[in-house]
Amino acid sequence: MEGKKIFVQAANQISIQKPLCREWMENPIAYSEPFSRSIDPDFKPYVSPVEGRRMGKVLKRALAVSLQTLRDCGLDQPDAIITGTGLGSVESTEAFLLDMCQNGEQLLKPTHFMQSTHNTIGSLVAIQTRCHGYNATYSHKQISFESALYDAYLQLKAGETGNVLVGGHDGTTPDYFRLLELADYVGNGMNGTCGEAAMAALLSVGDRSYPNPPLCELAGVKLLNRPTIGQWKSALDSLSLPDDLVVFSGENGHPLNDSCYAAVLQAVLHGRPAVPYKRWFGECFTASALGFYAAAEYIRSGKAKNVLLLTIGRSGEAAVVLLKGLSVD
Amino acid sequence: MSANRIVITGSGVISAIGAGKEETLQSLQQGVGGVAPVRYLQTDHTECMVGEVKMTNREMMARLGIPSDVPVVRTSLLGMLALREALQESGLSREDLAETAFINGTTVGGMDKSEQFYLDFLGETASSEVPVAYIKTHDCGASTDMIADYAGRFGMTTSISTACSSAANAIILGARMILAGECDKVVAGGAECLSKFHLNGFNTLMILDQQPCRPMDAGRAGLNLGEGAAYLVLESEASAQKRGAKVLGVLSGFGNACDAFHQTASSPEGEGAFLAMRQALSMAGLQPSDVDYINCHGTGTPNNDPSELRAMHRLFGNVLPPFSSTKGFTGHTTSASGSIEAVFCLLALQHQFLPVNLNFSSPIADEEHPESDNMPVTAGNQALRHPIRRVLCNAFGFGGNDSSILLEV
Repeated sequence: MEGKKIFVQAANQISIQKPLCREWMENPIAYSEPFSRSIDPDFKPYVSPVEGRRMGKVLKRALAVSLQTLRDCGLDQPDAIITGTGLGSVESTEAFLLDMCQNGEQLLKPTHFMQSTHNTIGSLVAIQTRCHGYNATYSHKQISFESALYDAYLQLKAGETGNVLVGGHDGTTPDYFRLLELADYVGNGMNGTCGEAAMAALLSVGDRSYPNPPLCELAGVKLLNRPTIGQWKSALDSLSLPDDLVVFSGENGHPLNDSCYAAVLQAVLHGRPAVPYKRWFGECFTASALGFYAAAEYIRSGKAKNVLLLTIGRSGEAAVVLLKGLSVD
Repeated sequence: MSANRIVITGSGVISAIGAGKEETLQSLQQGVGGVAPVRYLQTDHTECMVGEVKMTNREMMARLGIPSDVPVVRTSLLGMLALREALQESGLSREDLAETAFINGTTVGGMDKSEQFYLDFLGETASSEVPVAYIKTHDCGASTDMIADYAGRFGMTTSISTACSSAANAIILGARMILAGECDKVVAGGAECLSKFHLNGFNTLMILDQQPCRPMDAGRAGLNLGEGAAYLVLESEASAQKRGAKVLGVLSGFGNACDAFHQTASSPEGEGAFLAMRQALSMAGLQPSDVDYINCHGTGTPNNDPSELRAMHRLFGNVLPPFSSTKGFTGHTTSASGSIEAVFCLLALQHQFLPVNLNFSSPIADEEHPESDNMPVTAGNQALRHPIRRVLCNAFGFGGNDSSILLEV
């Protein structure tokens, strides 16, 4: 697709690694538990304690990574906000659901319901930054984040907007982890952990001068549904993959998940070095947002020239994202 | 934008006023609403007025030819019925779907089953069988893919969840993909069933009217929830011409803006609504005076309607184009409302009539626009024969996610 060059201007994460910094990369924490919660930073620089008490963890983390990313870019507000989340504010949803199932329909309270819709996250960021620009939320299983990225990519390429704050946010609660275990998505002897994700990145078309150089270029996004090998090949061909390429792939240690990746890596990306990034961040619906962040950091720090982020969900949703090093021209 | 003009070559709809466009058109033209006391949803709030699709899950499964033991959620059943109609009309074959995208808006997703089995999931009931299948059908994406897979194998699918503007935003993404040349055929819209979860949620917010809702009326006291699904087949004009597909209408503009005011309330100035409508007009290269009809979001809550009216006044001045809210027919079909009402607009364009605003008796006063009568389209003002060419269709959501699309014939 012709159009403007898109850059990843800044990105921040809160995850099961050390939050809001790059230091975790030197010595990532290894987890042996089947399920771990994120390491929360001090939220005071981002949200007042009074406001914070009314927010669930997913919201607070989303606000922190979003505001930090904007600060890194010297911006008060972005032009647009596009969010990916598999479950939205799962803690609020569960609280309302449990209350209703256990105590009936008479004495329920509104707060948890108000925070339970998926778009609460993106709307909160808009309210806090007074951003009236384009705002949308995607919720499509493992490619929730990539769907948000795809929308941002289309708008930036077409020159409709100068910058977009994209995010990927999901919490994993003990109850939801138990449900995922029952459904055999995770756990059950899985050789890896489940985590949580909060990631925000500012994408720009170089619409203004930013305090820091970009981390890398976002060179392409493709979403696929139950692709055949032929469709995988044509999707990758359309991205014109560079020779010097590392694949960030979404293996999580669960055999039913990893076999999906093995088949595709073997068939269409054979011989490319692969980094299974979920060994750092664990699994959740928007773990790939953390993979995106780590890939951008990998390129910035010179650990890789170009990265292909590969996401394949067990029910057939799939995505590829190409990140390229900055060309010296 | 003529090179990539977006045309609509198919549409399907299901709501409280009918399964399919034929029943829907009849109800709209005869002014017969579908809001009634709860009958299908299992809830203690039997006093609630709702816009239910008048079929059990089992009846829908029989219509769709789905065996009764297949685990499926109501959102998906509604979606499958609407999608089937839209694809049939468009003439797209199963083989065409590989080159077609499916964009679905939903928020409730599989909550109807999650709320039924939640305590079983958590092991807090004596039930020995945990209905694991319904854990997998909970999330929005699962609902979308059940709908998509019923039709065949789409080249890509994704789900938008911006609460009550989800379906409108699905249409906007679809349009954007065609404009960008990413693909030339997209099926976009939304599906949402009633759930105890959001019925109770809206109830805690105290914005449910215990009577049939009265949108755009001075005496309005809240909304009625509804359910349904609708999809539009969007296509580049070149692709439609190549296939010889019949063109039902043109999607010539869209706008999306955030009110950025409150999670569940609209700003008094209707900033998000104003910006969204203005963008849609500007993209279509039209003046406010070119608009022949506005299908308002018009939920009937004390907060939404005056905010939307204010936004309309800011854009159109004192004299508004004919407008109405069709929520009196269907209730508020939340995530599906944007596409359901887009299909209503298409029907209005095809058959040259204005959908009426049910349950209206006296207009809302706007002190900043005292000259305006704020009268929606009601029965008796020749609504049934009215030349229209261009209509705006609004869908606003929690979080101030406001969208508007412009349809033309």
